[in-house]
Parts: sequence; C-alpha cells; structure tokens
Amino acid sequence: MSYSCSSRRNSRDRQALRSPQVIILAVADTGVNSSNNINSQASLNANQSPTAAMKVKKGCNSTGVGVPATTEEELLGNTAITPEDVLGLQKITENYLCGPGQNVYSIDFTRFKIRDMETGTVLFEITKPPHTDKAGDKSAIDPNAGRFVRYQFTPAFLRLRQVGATVEFTVGDMPIENFRMIERHYFREKLLKSFDFEFGFCMPSSKNTCEHIYEFPPLSEDVMREMILHPYKTQSDSFYFVDNKLVMHNKADYSYSGGP
Amino acid sequence: MSVKMEMDVSGVSRTPISVLPAAAEVKAMLKPDTGDRPRCASTPCSPIKSTVSGFQILHMDSNYLVGFTTGEELLKLAHKWSPNPEKTLITTPTTTTSTASEALPSSVPKPMDLGIHRASRIYKAKNRYYQPYDIPVVNGRRRRRMPSSGDPYLRPLSQGEGGPGRALHHGPLPLCLLKGKRAQSKSLDYLNLDKMSVKEPPADTEVLQFQLQHLTLRSERMFTRNKT
Repeated sequence: MSYSCSSRRNSRDRQALRSPQVIILAVADTGVNSSNNINSQASLNANQSPTAAMKVKKGCNSTGVGVPATTEEELLGNTAITPEDVLGLQKITENYLCGPGQNVYSIDFTRFKIRDMETGTVLFEITKPPHTDKAGDKSAIDPNAGRFVRYQFTPAFLRLRQVGATVEFTVGDMPIENFRMIERHYFREKLLKSFDFEFGFCMPSSKNTCEHIYEFPPLSEDVMREMILHPYKTQSDSFYFVDNKLVMHNKADYSYSGGP
Repeated sequence: MSVKMEMDVSGVSRTPISVLPAAAEVKAMLKPDTGDRPRCASTPCSPIKSTVSGFQILHMDSNYLVGFTTGEELLKLAHKWSPNPEKTLITTPTTTTSTASEALPSSVPKPMDLGIHRASRIYKAKNRYYQPYDIPVVNGRRRRRMPSSGDPYLRPLSQGEGGPGRALHHGPLPLCLLKGKRAQSKSLDYLNLDKMSVKEPPADTEVLQFQLQHLTLRSERMFTRNKT
C-alpha cells in the first residue's frame, strides 16, 4: 500500500478543470496459491456520472499463470517494463525500476485512506494539502525519497481479512488509457501476495477516486509471528502502468510489532 | 532495555528514569488528538497539526496503526543524527537470521547522550526549568523562563525534534533509500572537490567555461548510468 505525492505544476490553473470522478469499487483476489477467482464489481456514486464496471485481472506468482520468472537486473536493461515483466519478479527489488521523471502523465496521489471492510473502521487517512510543495526541497534530499513510505502496524492488523484502500489522484493534461497498478508484497524473499488493480481510463486534468479491496492471504501463526518479530522485513513494490508501460514505481515496508 | 533499581539512604529511588517511551506510550503519542493539543510557541493560539513531510494525517486508528512516515523524513532524521547513516542502520531485503534488535545501532551517537542527559536533568530537577541563557535580574528578583511546548528538552525523544530517538523509533533506513544516498554522494566524487587547492591561480573565463562544459557532460553520463 504505497502511496506517494509529487509536486504538481500549475495546480491552480487545473483546479477549475478537475471534477471528481466516480468511486469505483473493485475486488482483487489474487492469492499466490489460490485457484482462479476473478471478481469484478462496480458501484456508482449517485451524484457522479456512471462508468463501466471495472475488470480485475488475476495476477499471481509466475508458476501459477505461466509467467516466466524475471529478475530485477534483467528488467533494468529493458527500455520499457510491462506488467508481465513485474509479475515474474520473485523478490522485492533493490532499486527503483523507473525514475521519477517517467511519470510523464503527472499522476499525483492526493489522498489515501484504508478501512476494515468487515467493520467499516477507518484505519488511516492522509491527505496532501494543496500548495505544500516547495521547489527544491525534495531534490535536495533524494529524488526517490518521495516514493517510499513506511507503516508501523500493530499485530492486530494481521488479523484483518479485507481492507479497502481509497486513493484519490489527479492526472495531467494527457488522457490516461488503461491505468493499472500491480502491487506485490513480500516477507523476506517470499511472495505473500500479488494484487492487480485496474483504474481504467482517466480524463485529462481530472481528479479521480478509486477504492480497491485487498483480500489478505491467510497466514499461519508461525508466519505472523515472524512478521511481527522482524519489522520492515515485509515490503512491497507498487508498479503503475499506462498502456502496459511502467510509469511509476513506489515502495513501502511494514512493521507489525506495534512499535519502532 | 534492563533497568537497575537504586535507592539512596533516605529511600528515594535513584533509578534513572527512562526517557524513551514504551510502545504503549508511543501509540498514544502518535494517535492524532482531536482534543487538547500542545500549542506551538510561535503561534500560541494555533494547535499543532499532525503532519509528515507535508502530508496531513487526518486519522490514525492506534489499534491497528501506530506510525507512518515517508522516505524524506527517514533521510532527514538519518542526516541529522548520524554522521554516516549508511553504516549505522540498514535494512537489507534478504536475511537469513535476524531479530528486532538489528534495528538498534551498535553505538549511540553523541547527540543522543546529550539529549538523555539533558532530559534526565529535567526530570530530576525539583520544579526547575532548564534555562539555556541567563535571564537578567529585575528588581532584585531572578525570573524563570517559562517552558514552552516548543522546547525540545521537554518533549519525549521519540516525538518532534527529540533527536535520534525519533530516528530509531522509525526504524532503520530502507535499502532503496541508502542506494539513492550513495548514488547521490558519489555523483560528485569525480569533481575531486576535496583535492582542489585553494592556492590555484584564478583561471580565465574560457578555461572555466570549458571545464564547466566538461563537468556537465560527465554528470549527464553518470545520471544515465545510475538510471540503468
């Protein structure tokens, strides 16, 4: 569940053009060892224009669907990285597979919220106030620093089965065809689960909101104990594609010990 | 962390008070309070909002989530409290055996020592506030400086500008950020800035322009190499 914000140019000019889009509910169940289980579901906000049902493609480990295993080193040599490429990754990448400058569509995440689907409890919500970016501040530290987030969960989080993640994002002047996110979670070198969400088409200069549901894989007590005892060994790569080409890569790591 | 109990003759405990809060206290501290919030010293009427690197945390359920931070904040803290953050705290993506104690540094940097010493003085002092400067005597009475919520000494180390406790609280630096740091620091190595002699005679404009052009081309090549 990585989420990053980058500076947005001419945000004031685009403010008038942006209109909130529909809230699309999508379910992805792409367990590593699960059988085919594709769900698609869409709900409409009564105040917004209707949209087509969102399809969710199944993504899983390479041996499940015949996707060949790939390595980070191989992909770094490619001119373009496709969804099939990252679906073959067997472990967390050490490097980012694309630079911040490859986000040519100016996709900017402005709000993020996660909630427990069983109780509706909002677990976390964060937003980026407008006009908070100061020119030169981020480049002075590290261009990749804005693409990494860290969560410190309590052990109770591992007991949740379904978590809904609502993402609000804006896009630049170009229309976005087939916007898709593949997020892979690992504990050490073991792939826990791969999530595959499609955002679909995004209008230029628009603000969009989308909720994805994470179906967490069942974890044994031993694995949960290990994850709790070893904070930040649970990591994720979030790959974002437009027209099947990688445009963004965010990373996150997680602690479940409830402390530092 | 083990604590040795000590008592003096009068029965008053001399046990050093831990200034690093326990996990439960940390949870409570990180929970965004909607009620009483400390006021910052510069604007006494405005409450301090919960922000992380420009993002505003609207809600955090401490039953499930006790902390959130960004790469920027981690790097800032690492820069602030360690002369060489690459050597102190590293999260590697692959490990064979590891424990939570890996997150702790092997040696405590000096600023943390000072911070603990200073904070322990605060707790041990009897209703006295730390005064970093002398307050002039007025009418024969020495005034005390009133504490402000902006004082770093009064805040727990894991909160605000409290020091390396805050860095440790957020865990070690991830590998992807360390690699970025190394790449950035090395990108200027070819300039050999440390070897430049200050006694060199001033070069004329044409020579400087040629050198600048040469450096620009090299930096572009370095960046391209780092990207791939």
